[in-house]
Amino acid sequence: MIFEIADVIISGLINGSVYALMAVGLTLIYGVSKAFNFAYGSFYSLGGYIAFLLFGLSFINNYFLVFLLAVPILLVFGYFVEKALVAPLRKRDDWEIKVMMITLGLALFLDNSFQVIFGSRMKSLPPFLEGSFEAGDFYLSHQDVGIFFLSIGGILMFRWFLNNTRTGMSVRAVAQNPAGAQIVGIPKEFVFAATFAISTVMVGMGGILLAQKYFITPMGGWDILVKAWVITAFGGMGSIRGGLYAAFIVGMLESFVGWYFGMTWTLIVLFAVLLTTLAVRPQGLMGKWG
Amino acid sequence: MDHKRITILLAVIWAIVALLPLFFGGTNFIMHILIMCLIWSVVASCWDLIMGFAGIFSFGQVAFFVMGSYASAIISGQFGIPPIFAVFIAGGITAAIGILVGLPCLKLKGAYIALVTFAVHMILEPVLKGDIGRAIGTGGTRGLLTIEPMTIFGYTFTTASPVPYFYLFFLVAVVCSVIILVVIKSHWGTAFLALKDSQEFAICLGVSAFKYKLMVFALTSFLTGMMGGFYAHYVGMLSTRMLGIDLFVTLMVILVIGGVGKFPGAVIGAFITIVVNELLSPLGPYRPITMGAMVVVLVLLLPDGIVGLFERLFSKNKHSITH
Repeated sequence: MIFEIADVIISGLINGSVYALMAVGLTLIYGVSKAFNFAYGSFYSLGGYIAFLLFGLSFINNYFLVFLLAVPILLVFGYFVEKALVAPLRKRDDWEIKVMMITLGLALFLDNSFQVIFGSRMKSLPPFLEGSFEAGDFYLSHQDVGIFFLSIGGILMFRWFLNNTRTGMSVRAVAQNPAGAQIVGIPKEFVFAATFAISTVMVGMGGILLAQKYFITPMGGWDILVKAWVITAFGGMGSIRGGLYAAFIVGMLESFVGWYFGMTWTLIVLFAVLLTTLAVRPQGLMGKWG
Repeated sequence: MDHKRITILLAVIWAIVALLPLFFGGTNFIMHILIMCLIWSVVASCWDLIMGFAGIFSFGQVAFFVMGSYASAIISGQFGIPPIFAVFIAGGITAAIGILVGLPCLKLKGAYIALVTFAVHMILEPVLKGDIGRAIGTGGTRGLLTIEPMTIFGYTFTTASPVPYFYLFFLVAVVCSVIILVVIKSHWGTAFLALKDSQEFAICLGVSAFKYKLMVFALTSFLTGMMGGFYAHYVGMLSTRMLGIDLFVTLMVILVIGGVGKFPGAVIGAFITIVVNELLSPLGPYRPITMGAMVVVLVLLLPDGIVGLFERLFSKNKHSITH
């Protein structure tokens, strides 16, 4: 019993850490540019498939090389998606709904392209660490620990980037006051594109990390989109700290409900908790209106 | 577009559609597609009313449609209520759920509303397939396979002779579009626009956000649920496959092609999208890719849809204040 609960807590922590990475990406775009990206889940699958393709190359045999190559690919991809699809819509009055529509179209396009290119069968990635810690009934694989620390590392790196680099500071400035940021000479368009690119990297990395435990499927991203969305709304859209707390709460909730009531109930309980939270606090745990 | 133009455009569209069975009445397959066009034109118009006019990002339209179809099928199947009444009861049930969904949305904004309404869509599938669904008679994962056909005054509609069915759906679609037109024309439509443009200012002027937002939720979910009921009795079987992402995107494409907030646009968009979707079916797995690419290109090139394009063409000679 006690080991079972320990297992549940550990799986909640690990899922929570990866959710945190992905939810921070989603909340970042919303916080900075007020755009909602419906293709976020497809970017998750894209990350997984890029890693799958990279592992097919003969000279790639470890995850260090995969990350080294996948991160720039995702960065460039995200940058161009923003420049080509989202930026032209920004000057319209009703651009929010137009962005939702265009990213939904992009999601449909990407998901079905995956289906045609890779087939609908599940793809798996090799585990990036072998072995496990074992003590009696207690079992903890090295891979899980690695995923946990990589996600946390990713978030910390992102935090460092926001606080200590010039681009990061301009991202925060634009998030606080776009017009003011523009007046002091911050290139707003570049910042929008850069945040979109960074969020693509974050969700893509999440895809690479989780694809080792679960599998990559063409439509698998929708589940992730909904979870990341729930977490962002729960924590407060645009609030990174709120997103972090919410990610771990959701990860824990999910593993406890899945363990106690069965997996079919996780989504229902998740939405029930979200609705209750939003009914009491419409702006989420730590969000601000506006 | 002013109301007079909307009315004329709508009258022209429905006049053309009414004549279509003269040419295609012999081909059951084409009639089936036309009936689908009529069904989705109503659902898309409702979505346009809530999203385009009232500015509420509701993403639960497909969920309301599925709820209505299941409700009508269950009511007529288990309680022996004639389908023609069952569809309206189903509409009423859906409207009640719509108000329930609308209540939390009153306090929320933008993407949050999209999430709450999309959540309804996401939850519906496990609920219908799970124990709760089986208890109320949804048939679980198998779905409902035998649904009573529509009967009015002893006349039973069959899919074998689709022309009467077509005119039934035509009548329903015309009534629905007239209702939507009247709502847009009346002070309700003005209130929606005021709330969409600036909620704070509208409230200060005495427009009740509570009343009008709940009303638009109730009206659109009633019409959508009722249409779902008609659909259930028409196709005769239901499964949760409708809740897949395909149908949702098809509706979105309809709005993109027709133009968001350009009312009869959704009707035109429905006919174009459903027909194009059928024409693309030889492409097999490449069809959804093409649809996705089409959405992306159309949003960029034709941001106001076909109706927006017309407006731009016609207003070239006049002074345009909107652009």
